[in-house]
Amino acid sequence: MTPNSPSAPSRRRFLASSVVVAAAVGGGMPLLTACGGGSGGSKNEGATTGKKLKDILPAYVPSKAVTPDIPSRNGSADGFTTALPADQLAVSVPKKLGKGSEISIMAPLWGTSPGEGNAYWTAMDEAAGVKVKWQNQDGNVYGQKLGAVLASSAVPDAVVVPGWELGGKIPSAIANKFADLGPYLSGDKVKAYPNLAAIPTGAWQRGIFAGQLRGLPMPAEATPNITPFYRADIFEEKGYEVPTTTQEFYDLCKEINAPKSKVWACSDMTWSAWVFFGVLPEKPYYWKLVDGKLVNRYETPEYLEALEWSRSLYSAGFVHPDAKAETGDMRTTFSSGNVLMYNADISDWYAATAVQRLDKPDFRMGAMDFFAHDGGDPVIYEAAPSNIWCFVSKKADKQTIEDILALANFTAAPYGSKEQRLRAYGLEGTHHTLKDGVLVKNEQGNNEVFATYEYVATSKPYRAYPDYPDVAKGVIEWQQRQGAHLKKPLFHGMQIQEPNRYTELNAQFEALEKDIVRGRKKVSDMQQQVSDWRTKGGDKLRDWYKKLLDETGESAS
Amino acid sequence: MSLSTDDRRTQGSPASPPADKDGAARGQVRVSTKVPLRHRLRRDRTLLLMTLPAMLLLLVFAYIPLAGNVVAFQDYDPYIADNAFQAIMQSPWVGLEWFQQMVNDRLFWSALGNTLTIFLLQLTLFFPVPVLLALFINSFVRPRVRAVAQAILYLPHFFSWVLVITVFQQMFGGAGLIAQTLRENGYEGFDLMTDPGLFKFLITFEMIWKDAGWGVIVFLAALASVSTELYEASAMDGANRWRRMWHVTLPALRPVVALLLVLQVGNALTVGFEQILLQRTAVGPGASEVLDTYVWNVGITNGGFSYAAAVGIVKGIFGLLLVLGANKVAHLMGEQGVYKK
Repeated sequence: MTPNSPSAPSRRRFLASSVVVAAAVGGGMPLLTACGGGSGGSKNEGATTGKKLKDILPAYVPSKAVTPDIPSRNGSADGFTTALPADQLAVSVPKKLGKGSEISIMAPLWGTSPGEGNAYWTAMDEAAGVKVKWQNQDGNVYGQKLGAVLASSAVPDAVVVPGWELGGKIPSAIANKFADLGPYLSGDKVKAYPNLAAIPTGAWQRGIFAGQLRGLPMPAEATPNITPFYRADIFEEKGYEVPTTTQEFYDLCKEINAPKSKVWACSDMTWSAWVFFGVLPEKPYYWKLVDGKLVNRYETPEYLEALEWSRSLYSAGFVHPDAKAETGDMRTTFSSGNVLMYNADISDWYAATAVQRLDKPDFRMGAMDFFAHDGGDPVIYEAAPSNIWCFVSKKADKQTIEDILALANFTAAPYGSKEQRLRAYGLEGTHHTLKDGVLVKNEQGNNEVFATYEYVATSKPYRAYPDYPDVAKGVIEWQQRQGAHLKKPLFHGMQIQEPNRYTELNAQFEALEKDIVRGRKKVSDMQQQVSDWRTKGGDKLRDWYKKLLDETGESAS
Repeated sequence: MSLSTDDRRTQGSPASPPADKDGAARGQVRVSTKVPLRHRLRRDRTLLLMTLPAMLLLLVFAYIPLAGNVVAFQDYDPYIADNAFQAIMQSPWVGLEWFQQMVNDRLFWSALGNTLTIFLLQLTLFFPVPVLLALFINSFVRPRVRAVAQAILYLPHFFSWVLVITVFQQMFGGAGLIAQTLRENGYEGFDLMTDPGLFKFLITFEMIWKDAGWGVIVFLAALASVSTELYEASAMDGANRWRRMWHVTLPALRPVVALLLVLQVGNALTVGFEQILLQRTAVGPGASEVLDTYVWNVGITNGGFSYAAAVGIVKGIFGLLLVLGANKVAHLMGEQGVYKK
């Protein structure tokens, strides 16, 4: 009865690709200068702020191990275009911290598990001084597995929870089933784990659930992960201009669209439209202050405008039918030239290029700069500093917790270190080779070395593509250009738990958004739903947030 | 299969009124009630032992979980305790709140409406197909041709829904083979897969393609047990092909059709979970949400376990009433149905 991946909500599939590459905020996080502390309601509701927050957060000691080729700016990642030979790599974990505990870890996996006892896992365990028993679950339906596992009495020692799976009662599970890591990490204690101490403060703040530091973070860039891509090679060949207004975008689509020769202008562009029209982010950062009153994302005119515009692309027939049906893999459709524009996680830039250049050396894609729909500077809301966390079971004993932290310290090693090389590329000779500064994974490398260990914790965000330096440069420069327009949403960076009775209030919106852009429902249906939302609890939720805002102050400054 | 006894009896007097059979059977039951329980247990112990594994499965996977339905009357949070039992003990009771919410829930009614529409479509469009196919296959004289036809019809049953839907997408989707061929020849393309108006027909069509061949097996078995002498005898009496089908073949199928119909009605509210979930995004929940996917989305995806359980209970009760009703109708028609009094 397990549904297969095509059924998974698209947001999950969308974000899924983002975790393939580690990432995080650039510069330090602004310290919260909030007044008050905590907020009303039950013990799990609200957000942790003020002095209590300061007491909980680990100290920040930036790593000096490596210098990036393109340093972070405007909230971008650090960029790396080169790979050092193994003997020149920095050592970030001089002494093995693990004491050999056996640790069970449940984590999502997008791919096929390499199976126990493979050379990569063995080498990682050996180097970190632990013995991990992986419980990998299909990432596309991870939320469904997660709910069941957390409800059972057999919670693994460590569990990875992505931010987009925090719906329903999962926050209650986090508060009830997972340990407080504060006694091991708060303040200067984190210095026992130098790589964890180098994780930016903002990423840690999002790991505070129900008043305690529970999540080991996977930091993310402040710039948006959703990127509007276009086929730079084809654009050049045909003389298409990259659009700078939504009207230009529409006109360009008209020019490109040729279903008869199997070319559609674009995929679903709703995610980009949110930025073109300056729409607020998703829960819990979905409020803005207008004349002292909180207004929700769903109530803003720009939300409806973005839907209307996305809908116009569908009704004009510019959108590929597979995107309409939400089947197939758009990255492949884009790579084969059946659509010329699509939006996806920024890691697709490398993922698509690496595959295509094997037999099409001229393949080039680019990311268009976000623009305001009428051509001005865009309003880009800053992304949360971390959105995937690894939690430790409440039942784990002290030794197990310390060994999990030892492992996290190992996996959070920065790019350019011996530890990171092992985690990201496996063993030299067995999984990869390094020739003329180019790291190449072999077949065994591709089958065994992929995202598993990094979910435990990663360093501050970086993008390292030594095999395609042009991609690394393109990605970082795009992030830095977008970063110039960043704006912090209200409550930015806080981990907010809404009261239980409101957690499902907005559950129906995504489906209706899809219905509207695809022409199955009218924009006015959304207005109806918004007024339902208000009466069913939206207005009460607004009051709740207002109270929270009064207590915490505006973090957006 | 339990059909074999039916068939044998049918074979004996295919056109005789069914009341006779029932009468005989009822007589047997009455005799057996006079034997004391202990003796009956001893007499039937081999049979009882044989049912034991199935009973155990039923107990573990159906009856014990039934008790979990209490969460429909609670604000159940599975995470507040270490195991489900403790969590149930600790969750607060809310009475019939979830059922009230259900009555006022537009989405629930929409899901129920979709479920019933799809059921009726399946009943009228899907159900007759295997019968017709069985008659069709049965009309082949050469066993070789018959075997090949059967194999081709069975095959799609073994495809997973993911595969079936992919095949349909490749054929009838907006970028599919047919739409693309049309476009290449100067016509408008079309997209069957994302049209909410046609969705219910689409999934019925998919179901027919996938499972109609499989459904043929039962009817073929029933047909195989019809004595050729009957056909010969009616042919001697001057009955043509159609009359032979009407008076010999169809009466032979009647008990099987009635039985399957009752079972089908009992499953009325279960109209294809995986198939629909996989295509839900393509047409939106408005056209595709059925009770099963609704329960899934509310309960498993959004974590509203209590509400989902309430919807599940209503669905279960409704299904039970349908089975009893359909069975009653079968009795009135003189058929055996799923059980007898």
